[in-house]
Formats: sequence, C-alpha cells, structure tokens
Amino acid sequence: MKRMKWLKAVVIVIALLLPLTAMARGIDPLVSTDWLQKNLKNAKIVIVDVRKVEDYQAGHIPGAVNVFYGSWAIKKGDLLNELPPIDDLADVIGGAGIDKNSLVVIVGITEKVPNQFDMTRVAWTLKYVGVANVAILNGGYTLWVKENKPVSQDAVKAKAKPFKAAVNKGLFVDKAFVISEIGKATIIDTRGPAFYEGKEKLEFVPKLGRIKGAVNLPVGQLYTPEGLYKAKAELAALAEKAAGKDMSKEIIVYCDTGKTATAWAFIMTDMLGYKDVKVYDGSSQEWLADPNASIEP
Amino acid sequence: MGKDFHLAMECVSCHKGDDKKETKESAHAGFIAKPSDNLKNCGICHKKTALNYTNALHYTSLGQHEGVKHRFSAEELKTFDSKVFEQSCRACHASCGSCHVKSPPVGGITTGLLQGHKFVKKNEGKTCASCHGGRVYPEFTGEYGGTPDVHYQKGMVCVDCHKKTEMHGDGTMYKSKQEVKDRPQCLSCHKNRKYQIAHELHKDTVSCQACHSSGQYRQCYSCHTESGSTSKPDFILGLNPRDKKTLTTLRLIPTIRSTFNKAGIKMENFDALPNYWDSSVHNIKKRTERTRSCDSCHVAKEGFLKREMLIKDGSKANEELIYNIKPINK
Repeated sequence: MKRMKWLKAVVIVIALLLPLTAMARGIDPLVSTDWLQKNLKNAKIVIVDVRKVEDYQAGHIPGAVNVFYGSWAIKKGDLLNELPPIDDLADVIGGAGIDKNSLVVIVGITEKVPNQFDMTRVAWTLKYVGVANVAILNGGYTLWVKENKPVSQDAVKAKAKPFKAAVNKGLFVDKAFVISEIGKATIIDTRGPAFYEGKEKLEFVPKLGRIKGAVNLPVGQLYTPEGLYKAKAELAALAEKAAGKDMSKEIIVYCDTGKTATAWAFIMTDMLGYKDVKVYDGSSQEWLADPNASIEP
Repeated sequence: MGKDFHLAMECVSCHKGDDKKETKESAHAGFIAKPSDNLKNCGICHKKTALNYTNALHYTSLGQHEGVKHRFSAEELKTFDSKVFEQSCRACHASCGSCHVKSPPVGGITTGLLQGHKFVKKNEGKTCASCHGGRVYPEFTGEYGGTPDVHYQKGMVCVDCHKKTEMHGDGTMYKSKQEVKDRPQCLSCHKNRKYQIAHELHKDTVSCQACHSSGQYRQCYSCHTESGSTSKPDFILGLNPRDKKTLTTLRLIPTIRSTFNKAGIKMENFDALPNYWDSSVHNIKKRTERTRSCDSCHVAKEGFLKREMLIKDGSKANEELIYNIKPINK
C-alpha cells in the first residue's frame, strides 16, 4: 500500500513536470526562412544578425538587431574563437535586448566557411550564459536573400535590458578538463577526415594529429548540398554512429578553434536530445601546441 | 538609376570621348577613365567641396610628407620631394571617385565599382577600408587583433566619428592631421560621464586608449624598405613623442635608416624622430586588463616600452619614449 502511494506521488510529479519540459524550449532549434517571415512581427522574438556591420547596413531581415560575431568570440593570446569575459558578454546580450526568456533567432551567412558556423557558436554561447530559447536560421541570410524575402536598410536600435549571466559551465570546457576525461567521455573530432587522420592541418594549428581516442564526426556531414541542415533522422543516424546510443554519456566535441564543433554540439543537444555535450574551446589549436598532450596517430 | 542625378547625364559629360562615333577607337578618342582626377569636373556642381578638397589631407598627402621630412637635411628634402614624394607618396591621393564611385586603388588594385556606377555617399567597407586596411580598419572590426572595437560592436563605422570635413577638408591646407582641430575626441561623446577615480587620476597624463585599447594591434617593421614588409601584433605603451609626457599607445612605424637608400637619401637627421609614434588605436573596449587591475601597469608593467625591446639600429629618439612607471603608494 505504501509502495503504491509512493508510485502515485512519483507519477503526479512527473505529470506536473512534463509541461515544464515542453516549455523549456519555446522555439525549434532550427527555424526556416518561411517560419521566420511569418513570425517577423512576433514581439517575443529577437532576431540577431551576426554579420559584419557594413553587411548589415547594406541590408538585413526587417527588425533584426546587429551584434557582429566578433562580439561573441574573441582572440585570447594565440587562441581564436574564445569566450569573452562574462561581464562583456552580458553587456552585449543586454544591449541587444535579450533576456533569459527571449526567443532568439541567430542569423548569419552560409556561403562561406568558417562563417557558416558563426550562428551555432553564438547560439552555444547564449546557452552558456543562460539563454535557453535559441534558434538558428536554416540557410541563414544567404537563403533569405536568395528567396527574395524582404530586406531592410533601417538599422534597428535594440531596447537594452539588464542581463545577468547564469553560466552553464559544462557547455565549454578547458584543456585540463579534457585531459581528466580521456578514457571516460566520448571525444568527437568534428574536423574533416584528412584533419582527423593527421594528414592535413590549418596554418594556425601547430601540428598534425588529433586528441587520443577521439572519433570522427565531420561538420561537413551536417549539411545538404544546398547548405541546409539534413533531416533530423539522418543527423540522428550520423550522431549515433559516432557517439553511440547512450544519450546521457558525456561527450566532448572539438575542432580547430572551438567554433565549427558547436554545430554538432548544438544539433546533438537541441535537436537530437543528447544530454551532456561539451565543447572544448581551445580545441586543436591549444591541444596540439602542448607537447605533453596525448595525440594520435 | 533615375534617382542619381549623375546618371541622368550623358557618359561623355564626364568621360569625354564621342558617343556619336561608330568605332570604338574613334569613340574613345580623348576618353578620360577617371574624370574626378581633375577636381574641376566635380567642382562644376560641387564647387565648395571640390575647392576645399584641393587642400584636404586626403588629396595632398601632406601628412606623409610631414611625418618624415624632419629626418632629412635641406638637400635631402629636395631629393625626397622630387624623387619620392611626387612619384610615390602623392600617388596615394584620393580623387572624388575613389570614395564615391570606385574603390581606391591600393598597390594598383581596386575592388571595383562600389554599387554599379552609382555615386554613393559613403561605403566605408570598400573605401576607407581599402587605404586604411593595413592597420586601422581591420583592428576596428577585430579582423586583426581578434577583438573588435566597442564602437564597431555597437554598429558604428568610420563616418560616425570622422565627419565629412575631415574627408573633404575645411579649405585650409594642413601639414598633418595633428594641425586639424576638429578631429574626433573621445570626450566629445563621453563628456557627460561621471568621472571614476581612475579617470580623474589619469585624465591629464594618460590617453584614453592607453587604458581602453583591448590589446594587440599591428606593429609595422619593414614596410617600404628594401627587405619587404613584415608586421606582427603587439601592444606598446610609452610616452607620446609629441609631448613627451602623456602615456599612450605607441605604434612602430616602418621608416628605418635604409628606407630611402634607393633614392640616394641617407637621412642625415634620422635620429631626430623616433620610430614609435602615438597611435589612436581603433580597438577600444570598455573593460581591459588595465581597467580591471591597476597592477597590470603599476606592478607588472605590461606592454610598457623597455630598452631591450627597442628595434635594432632604431632612432636614438626612441629611448626618450620609455616610461618607468612607479608602483602605487598605498
């Protein structure tokens, strides 16, 4: 009898929490250009254009505010694409009129690598400081223009809001953390196969190779030939092949600088439901500069 | 097309040639590719602007002349004027079309028309960024140095601070930008901010950018020299060579002893000017290592010009810019 009461209580609690779970995401992680066009007048949505100021001034999605990508990721020492100080980030986010309850749509370009990954890096950064409802525009501004959707040249001045960061520390991790998790976490190298296999490297990456034990899940596999994200089922199959079926297992993704890896991190977490995906911000640029770091092949 | 009055005119109005002729060769006889190289053409309608512009620094390039002439003897200056300045430096002058029609050529290469053949009021990314694309512009956008200027982050571009009188001139022929009074000043916009203690303490002895530069900017080592150009990012603090008392951000400029060897100029007075000059760097941030901690300067002396850092065989005047900062008496 006692056990039944206990079970009932558990069921009631779960039933009460279920709607909250649904509310945890107020917007799909990927929104289409058609969806955004229909929602341009939705006052709850903050459209953040992360392109260069000059490009924004030349034309942007009506109502979009401009917060250039360089505000979200900076160079620290030799490392590219690093997190700015939290107080600077809070200024940027509050200045864009974003608060923790905002529904944010990130808009960037998709025709150039690595700029096409600006959107997910910004989305991941927003999640890091406690803005949960973040989406990226599938196809970006590139597709918006290609589809002849309306553009504006009127710069939007956001109504600034005070923003206090609630940092989710687990979303970005450092080298010491990665070292401590080797052999425990699934480490995913999201660079192309030639980079993973140690045959190629970018100029600013100190040497060839990968983190010991890493598996390969290239970011190039995320997209259709048109530059749009593949369908959920297809992405799920790709992710499962690399990361396995255990959605709760700790996963650490990395790339060259900590930018492109956010694409898989965002998709795996926000679309596919992986519970514990972390981005190694220093990535190959930092790891491969350390003579003591475990490297293969 | 219709909204632009210029385009309502016949092509030959500006470019000359003869549009009634049937062959290309005869139609192009007397053709002028860049009509605004002759300011009088634009001056027909824009009389005052064109007149002012004939004296503007963007047109006269006198700033470059003034920047180096004190290194020369009187004889050397004559050689410089005839062999170097007129043939090299002056080639950099911007015509009206360089900013309003077609990107200015840099090293002989232009990125082309700004917007078809429309006459545009401004397009900083394709005009200012072309000539100032080595240092100022990429530092401003963060493409060099890695941290964009806070003003750029807030959507500001060049002409939001640099007004058109700075571009077109005010009619006076200035020797250098230092003579121009109406230049952007931080305090023009930030004057109403209540001074913090640090501002009050440093306001007469430290430039704004000395504390608010986000960090590394381009230091030029051997541009315009025989050995080709190199540069690297660095952050340098020292005394302003123009007053020798204000601490500010310094930029290494590329004139070295052999720069004008090819023209037969040895620079007899090379040591009269330093190799490091005050630079109003365009990578400003609200918070920097120096605004966050007094110790950054007063204990660690980060970025301060030191004797051992000075470039090899540089000017003797460089040593006068070294500032030995003292710890704070607590």
